[in-house]
Amino acid sequence: MPRHHWILAAVALTAAIFLLNAAWIPVKAEIAQQLLERAWLRTLAGVADAKPWPWADTRAIAILEVPRLGQRLVVLEGSSGRNLAFGPTLVNTTPLNESADRILSGHRDTHFSFLKDLKHGDLLRLQTDKEVRNYRVSWLEAVDSRQQQLVMDDTVERLTLLTCYPFNAASAGGPMRWVVTALPENQ
Amino acid sequence: MSKHTSLEDSRRQDQAATIRDELEKRARVDNPHLAKRLSDRKRRNTAINNSTRRIMRWQDRTLLVLGAILVVLFVIRTETAIADKQAWGLQLKNDTETYTQLAVNTDIQLTVTGLITRVEAIQQFINSSSQWAEGIYRFPLPQGAAVDQMRIKVGERVLESEIQENNRARRSYEKARDAGRTATIVEQQRRNQFETRLANIGPGETIEITISYLQNVSYSDYSYHLRLPMTFTPRWEPSQQSTDTLAGTLSVAPQLVAASSTTSHGLKLHANLISAVEFSTIESRYHDVDIRQVENGYRIELLNTHELADRDFELSWTPTLQSSPSASLTTFNDGESVYAQLMLAPPLADAINPQPREVILIIDTSGSMQGASLEQAKNALSHALNSLGPEDYFNLLEFNSSTQQLFTQSVPITQASLYEAHNFITGLDANGGTNMAPALSAALTMPEMPQLMRQVVFITDGAVGNETELLQMIAKNLGGSRMFTVAIGHAPNSWFMRKTAEIGRGSYVHIGKPDEVEEQMSLLWNRIQLPALTDICVAWGDSAEFYPETIPDLYAGEPLWLLARLPSEPTMIGLCGNLNGLEWSLNVNGWDAAAGEIGGDNLAKLWARKKIEALEDSLMFGADPELTQLEITGLALDYGLLTRHTSLVAVDKTTRRNNDEPLTQSDIPSLLPAGSSTHTVGYPPTASGWVSQLLLSLLVLLLSTSMLLLSGSRLPMMKPSAKA
Repeated sequence: MPRHHWILAAVALTAAIFLLNAAWIPVKAEIAQQLLERAWLRTLAGVADAKPWPWADTRAIAILEVPRLGQRLVVLEGSSGRNLAFGPTLVNTTPLNESADRILSGHRDTHFSFLKDLKHGDLLRLQTDKEVRNYRVSWLEAVDSRQQQLVMDDTVERLTLLTCYPFNAASAGGPMRWVVTALPENQ
Repeated sequence: MSKHTSLEDSRRQDQAATIRDELEKRARVDNPHLAKRLSDRKRRNTAINNSTRRIMRWQDRTLLVLGAILVVLFVIRTETAIADKQAWGLQLKNDTETYTQLAVNTDIQLTVTGLITRVEAIQQFINSSSQWAEGIYRFPLPQGAAVDQMRIKVGERVLESEIQENNRARRSYEKARDAGRTATIVEQQRRNQFETRLANIGPGETIEITISYLQNVSYSDYSYHLRLPMTFTPRWEPSQQSTDTLAGTLSVAPQLVAASSTTSHGLKLHANLISAVEFSTIESRYHDVDIRQVENGYRIELLNTHELADRDFELSWTPTLQSSPSASLTTFNDGESVYAQLMLAPPLADAINPQPREVILIIDTSGSMQGASLEQAKNALSHALNSLGPEDYFNLLEFNSSTQQLFTQSVPITQASLYEAHNFITGLDANGGTNMAPALSAALTMPEMPQLMRQVVFITDGAVGNETELLQMIAKNLGGSRMFTVAIGHAPNSWFMRKTAEIGRGSYVHIGKPDEVEEQMSLLWNRIQLPALTDICVAWGDSAEFYPETIPDLYAGEPLWLLARLPSEPTMIGLCGNLNGLEWSLNVNGWDAAAGEIGGDNLAKLWARKKIEALEDSLMFGADPELTQLEITGLALDYGLLTRHTSLVAVDKTTRRNNDEPLTQSDIPSLLPAGSSTHTVGYPPTASGWVSQLLLSLLVLLLSTSMLLLSGSRLPMMKPSAKA
């Protein structure tokens, strides 16, 4: 009968919108990385303020590589929710090249899903426009964000990767975080 | 469309029906013809509705379910969107079911009698979760604290602890924990870092642990001082070096501190100063306090009732009477041995002739010194140069990641050298890491000048983990140099700084606030300007054991404390030394017996603590680890002290938690020291939740389209809808 068809059709339509919306997140994450990679190359070539897309309000500042897991990610400036959709972001508010204690955060279900596979001793390579630095993973742990805070201490050379935990939780916004700390290699 | 909308629709229909009935009634009266038509339509409508309800009952239910799933999806969507908007800060949620929330509050009660303080630190563990919990809490205790008692209060019962050898204590603790009984253990992790574990705190329960220890009061600049550390500077260990060989591994990752928003880490403090004489000043350096004079002395309390344990507590008091004798002795006879405490006060400043010195100033210019610390230190360095005498030599070094020194060798005071030095000081800039070793070794390996007393002043706010290696290096290169250490900030590594000063026969200053750097360092310059009594010796008699073994020099305003164990009551104790370049000697032959509320056995405990500390230090210089451990364990068990090899353990007899109820472990981090150079960062929300959304919406889509197709095959579509 017509009323039920109407409702069913509306339900199907809404579900389709939600479906596309959800599917768009990983697609966007991937496309953004491609565009950012190009912007990064332009940055390296000396283009000042190379924008990944014309209306972008963020920029590529580094490349994070994990050779063992074959990961290569473009790191963005500014840890806002919008930027996190495009790639891992720098939590420090000081420029990356001036920060010794570097903290990066990323979504546990897109860019930083590989964090669950990291092991003690894994090599992390962070390339900025000025230098390449190698780090070795030295701590991995789950932290309750309501009880423990991260210390940023610029007298220490360190790279910390942050993402939500547990990795397969159904809903977003939980209090637990997965913290991977890496110290500089050969130093 | 969602559940909400369909509900609203039906409500609207009901409303429409009543209005329609009303109109109908009126119409029937006014116009019988219309009334008939209306009643016909009503009958037809009811028939249609009835037939739909019969056919679509199962579809209705499915629709309801689909609607509910859509609402869930919508909620997830909005939650993620909200989370996206909170760029910083914590995700506070009330799901205490999943994670254990433990809080620790500290209540300190201290009683000072003469030179000894008895401190009771009550740690209150509050379990606000609905599960049984085991709490782990690390906390600092003051230098040389002799920890000898601990008790737990569970409800109305009080359990007293006993001292046990580490492994045994661990075993009894773990056994009780696994059996569901309340148990607690206090262990020493590093020299001034301790750890409490408390097992089986019931849901919603609060358990109190009281840790009791003895501490010596220090005396300098004519005042008594007592300092209680409250938290740690998060430390880091240079990666290529071995970790502290004495302390073993640091089991915690250093980068975490308690969130400032938690309702934990509260501090309360009461102090009793027992004294027959009046004090001219009583001062708390970092906390606002209420001071009241009572019958037997003074009572001091924190004014702020919501104080946090994020900075040290320091109390100073000055006696009105300046009748400090040059030497005073207190003894306690336990039947087997005699314990003695000797205080040696310096002569008045007027009686001292300045001796020529070589002063080497080493300043930390690492990034954490930036701001007030460095600005004040620079001023203080300029004062230091101005305070040098005409015959003195000096040199300046700065270090961060690398070391720079002004002159290759110390130079005399000339206009040119002073000009260069002031330029050097003005140019100092805080940047980089804290690499102390090269600076210290550069200063100590410079060739010594004959006839000059070398004073090395080392200024830092750094915290390092490889303290043993640094100390070994200092001990090796020390020669005749005197070491003075200045620690800046709330919780620098004071053990290392004090020990450096001790083996270097100098003194150690801790400056808590950056804006006190200039003032406190100027006091230090004045003090070390006048070495009053050097190369001191004390004739305790045969087979006496005394601490410190290296007796430092005596400076104006800085008396000397010595603790000894003697085989019998002494008849006379002879002192000798070097005063104004001449031989000096003094005989002490009168003393007081230790008495009062703080019993004499405290003297014995303090002595044992000193001996244990000396034994631990001997390890650093190559003593046999196994023998030393045996010796320390023996001493600790005899005197009832907590050490690295012995723990305080208390175990309840009644089982409170059943085996089928799980026990969750919660590590309670310390607070970040107030005013620390480091700061904390928030956690950005780092999940998009797209996977669950994708799966749910896929499910709804499949269900609704299949329903559309199913019903479509059975009942022909009325007409194609605009939306579908």
